Amino acid sequence: MKIINLCLMALTAATPIGAVSAAAAGEAPGSTPTSSETQSLPLSAAESSRFIYGTPGEEYPTNGGIPKEFWPFSSIKPYEKFFVTRTPFRGPGRDYPPPPNLKSLRIGLIDSPKYGANWDRSERTRAGIVQAIEEANRQRLPGELPFELVEHEGVAQWGGAANLAALLADENVLGYLGMIDGTDAHVALRVTLKTEIVMVNTSDPDPSLTETRIPWLLRVLPDQRQEEAKLVDSIVNRCGCRRIAILRAGDRFARVGSHMFGDFVRRLGCPAVQELLFSPGATDISYQLAAIKEAQPDAIFFLGEPADIGLFVRKFRDAGVKARFFGTDLLLEDEFLKNAGAASEGMMFTCLFDPATKDPLWVDFVSRFKTRWGHEPDVYAAYAYDGAQIMLSAIRRAGPNRWRIRDLVCNLDYYRGVTGWMRFDGTGSNIAPVRMVRYEQGRPVFEAEPEFAPPVARHL
Amino acid sequence: MKTQNSPSKRAIAAALSLLALLPLTRGSARPATAGAEGSPISTIVRFENFGEKDGLPSHKVHSVLRAKDGRLWLGTNNGLCLREADGRFRTYGTKDGLSHPTVLGIAEDTRTGDLWLATMQGLTRMSGGKLTAFTQTNSGLPNNVVYGVSVIGDTVWAATAAGTGALDLKNNSWKIYDQSNSAMNEPWCYSVAQGDGVVYLGVWAGGVVEFDPRTGLFKAYRDPDGDFQIQLTPDSGPVVDVTSGVAYDAGILWQSTYFGLSRYDTSRATWRTWVQDKSPLLSNFINTVFAHGKVAWLATDRGASVTDGTNWVNYSVDENGRGIVRTYRPGEETQVRTMTTALADGFVTAIWADDHEAWIATSNGLSHGIFAGPSGSPAVASNP
Repeated sequence: MKIINLCLMALTAATPIGAVSAAAAGEAPGSTPTSSETQSLPLSAAESSRFIYGTPGEEYPTNGGIPKEFWPFSSIKPYEKFFVTRTPFRGPGRDYPPPPNLKSLRIGLIDSPKYGANWDRSERTRAGIVQAIEEANRQRLPGELPFELVEHEGVAQWGGAANLAALLADENVLGYLGMIDGTDAHVALRVTLKTEIVMVNTSDPDPSLTETRIPWLLRVLPDQRQEEAKLVDSIVNRCGCRRIAILRAGDRFARVGSHMFGDFVRRLGCPAVQELLFSPGATDISYQLAAIKEAQPDAIFFLGEPADIGLFVRKFRDAGVKARFFGTDLLLEDEFLKNAGAASEGMMFTCLFDPATKDPLWVDFVSRFKTRWGHEPDVYAAYAYDGAQIMLSAIRRAGPNRWRIRDLVCNLDYYRGVTGWMRFDGTGSNIAPVRMVRYEQGRPVFEAEPEFAPPVARHL
Repeated sequence: MKTQNSPSKRAIAAALSLLALLPLTRGSARPATAGAEGSPISTIVRFENFGEKDGLPSHKVHSVLRAKDGRLWLGTNNGLCLREADGRFRTYGTKDGLSHPTVLGIAEDTRTGDLWLATMQGLTRMSGGKLTAFTQTNSGLPNNVVYGVSVIGDTVWAATAAGTGALDLKNNSWKIYDQSNSAMNEPWCYSVAQGDGVVYLGVWAGGVVEFDPRTGLFKAYRDPDGDFQIQLTPDSGPVVDVTSGVAYDAGILWQSTYFGLSRYDTSRATWRTWVQDKSPLLSNFINTVFAHGKVAWLATDRGASVTDGTNWVNYSVDENGRGIVRTYRPGEETQVRTMTTALADGFVTAIWADDHEAWIATSNGLSHGIFAGPSGSPAVASNP
């Protein structure tokens, strides 16, 4: 275990304790936990314009809020729709006393395995979380307990994250963050239901993570469903492509993503003309290239690590393939451009938010981040920072009580972070719109999108 | 914390439960015990509750088992607990050899009396009073987080976060079943149940997998619509693929999920499903299911529920802490009644039951459900 004693912020040991009402526990959408209901501290003036709990009368959108043309069985009224309300946690705990002899407020972090594909991203995630905790601790008032990060490096083994999630419970964390890999996040989530410790996931894009109805999870990262609905809309509806091929990595991340992408293009009447796999790190894709070329696609969707995709788009262009190329937000990473070179020209892909925005919250965060770390934050650092802010605020307001912290995290409907407004659906996943980007002369050009904001934000 | 009443108080409470039960809504003046009439479902007339004040090592009880010798075992957040003959609780912890204080599941090898304990950090065997830990590093256990355990013949089955582990007791060898060598869509397993000559695996995001040890073949029962957001049609297969528990008895396979309940009649190869608000199901959120005969006991986040698929009796706790029992029978109005006693907590985590009693584990203590006798009087609880 690596415990980082960062400076500190937070709450007094004499935090009020009490039970929340059924509404505050998430019985229905539109339930706004007030300070009297939760016996928690109210939102500060600064927070009240960024945290929105409930929009009365509103039902959560299903299927991640994507257009109905992408839904499964969209022409049939299903027998039952799940996730139109948030799954409540009905168990006890909100009136339990704080742990004795508390010296800090512990927050867990499960990193990715070192030397794995996600290690660098995990480091960037960690930087965003550390930044949030350091800033919070610097604002600590005399007598308030510090936040403390309890960090574990991931284990490159199925189920490894489950062991770490169980360990974090033994280490008395009040909540935990992180996890890029979908497998890690899934197995850790299963443990959280038993340990009753809330997870704010900042970086796993697997849509099914939040579709498990375990009411101890909030995800701040828009997921693959958002990305691929946007992509397919661009490919088919905007660009008019009809013959679409898929080249994807043979791993779980790409399997989940390509499955969803394949469903979406099929529902628009354009089933994939070819779907082929490659081994991550492979350099010889001559078979896949020949087979895809033979299928005469007018669009190719690449899904995998950016270094691999960069290499492959160059090979495809060198082989004379004229199809439009598409990918996901990972292609913003340097390794793609390094390998793709001029073949990146015109490549279109998704981006979860616009890092070129002039939004003061974002600009100020970038400045602070650069001062602390010497470089600009990326998407992982940014969402990790936002996720950590949600966790820190909940702990500060709820006190050292895991069940009340859960209520404040998992009942959140909208949050205004450095990445913009987030909207959480009935599964607890951020469904804020994503946008498209394309490379022009080696530079990403972000397409203009209407700024997303909740209707109620106009009144704030 | 609600605690056990003294015997005299218990007797008074039992009498009151029969004489003073008043209907809350609809229904006739039929006593609460009437749920048992014409139905294979035994009805609880009274709860005895036990908490930390009574000697439980934790308010949170994850698992419960009445062993063949009549002893009651509890898996809690803070150790394995035995209810002694005098009613006192004795706790076994890590200092005694338990691999982790959190005991999520208990199974008995009825031939030897050995107990197998699923914990948050490994599997533990209790044999002759001695506890032995099996972990990823000292055995073939697939993962240290063990959600459920079952002893079927000569094999101990462990449902873990990274596959299903099968320990052959004859030669002390392990096999691991996961997505690479079985019909499991994902390796994450939540529970294991014994069928008639087959083994059922409750697989997270993989529905229910049936394994036939004689042939080595697997068969997966999956949600026919394959989507987590909807149930397209009822009674067509598992309600969803995210399985929280499986149980089997008398030819009936039950699947509990956080989306509802599924029942598979193996002799007719037919499915039935239930979701809350469209059926008497108390809540879609079912932590686990226990089968006894053709009846299923459901551990939900809103209380305990018992059903044979036709009749239902639901036990919940209202906002004032009163016990509420709702009885559903085909063609009759729902009976809703208060009880003089209530479950220790509405968040039920596990149940063990037979024809005489039910033991109900909750997140805030343990409840002993005492059934109505043949004449409507409480059956005598025979807990040692």
